[in-house]
Amino acid sequence: MLPWAELQEQLAAALRDPERAPPAECIGPDGARATKRFAVYRNNVFAGLIDALAESYPAVHRLLGVECFEETARRYVSQHLPRSPVLLEYGERFSEFLEQLEPLAALPYLADVARIERAWLEAYHAPEAPALDPGALAGIPAHRAADLCFTLHPSVRLVRSRSAAVTIWGLNVAPPPWASLPPDPIAESALLARPAAEVEVVCLTPGAAEFLAALAGGLTLGEASERARSVHDTFHLTEHCTALLGGGWVTAAHLRRRRTRGH
Amino acid sequence: MTTRTASLAVAGALATAVTALAAPLASAGGMSMTPRQHTMAELHTGKFVRCFGVALAGHNDCYAGPGTTCAGTASRNYQGNAFKLVPTGTCTAITTPYVTIVQGHGSLSKITEAGR
Repeated sequence: MLPWAELQEQLAAALRDPERAPPAECIGPDGARATKRFAVYRNNVFAGLIDALAESYPAVHRLLGVECFEETARRYVSQHLPRSPVLLEYGERFSEFLEQLEPLAALPYLADVARIERAWLEAYHAPEAPALDPGALAGIPAHRAADLCFTLHPSVRLVRSRSAAVTIWGLNVAPPPWASLPPDPIAESALLARPAAEVEVVCLTPGAAEFLAALAGGLTLGEASERARSVHDTFHLTEHCTALLGGGWVTAAHLRRRRTRGH
Repeated sequence: MTTRTASLAVAGALATAVTALAAPLASAGGMSMTPRQHTMAELHTGKFVRCFGVALAGHNDCYAGPGTTCAGTASRNYQGNAFKLVPTGTCTAITTPYVTIVQGHGSLSKITEAGR
């Protein structure tokens, strides 16, 4: 008998590779090696995981079509068996995989569409948290407003893209319009959040993406606004503050101490 | 812009946003908040949460389904036809009100219902 860990290794290897025979320990009622039975098991593993990917990445599935998606997913499954027993976590590296798959190089937006779908799934399963009441910020003195730092809602995900990934995603999962800020036809980023029951997807201009990325990175409102203006000179701060606070994307705010002493 | 003007501009933007959001039925910079408020109201009815739970269970059931169905017949090349069937049952019934509410939000859950 093989040690348990080694047997598991061999089982996994035989699962991944249809050309490989199962370990000799896999026997049928007649005592002979159960190659056919094992093939059924292998088939079920692949079928289940391919289906899980199709469920998690419906836009990619639609963009590639059934046959291409299944072949692509099959290759992914053969290289990435689940790391978690939780099925909804499966496919966490699918976007990278798509990006590196040579036959799909003609679809440069595909990996970003997959990232949006992954972010959607993460936002959907992220913890609940009450949004910050915008009224709580009414008492902030004007000279300190720029020092505000925000804690973003745990479901907030930002997907930055150089392609029109958000529009492509949207057209392949739902008839537009979904709630959106004015999209840039060249580079679209997406903000996904689930402030209440359902995931909301907002298409961001490069300026808005920079703004939110800066806030998510812990920068102040003043710093984030400057960064946004540096990539997008018509960045409209009022509009984005309203979206940020009104959209329930923020759960807490604090003032960062100024370190101006000594200047 | 000097630092001071920039900082005042930030304060102005924030104040405008806070005021706009404090007003009843705030309409904010091209983004209507009303559907979200509706959603929040619906959430309190409890229908929403249950609906999501059911949809999720459906997902898992679907996963177990096709694999099992083809187990006796398929060889090593899975054809995957079984899964293209629309998941039926309680999920559909319970999700109906939800579909109406989120129309225009681009929720994937809706697509799962209609698109498969």
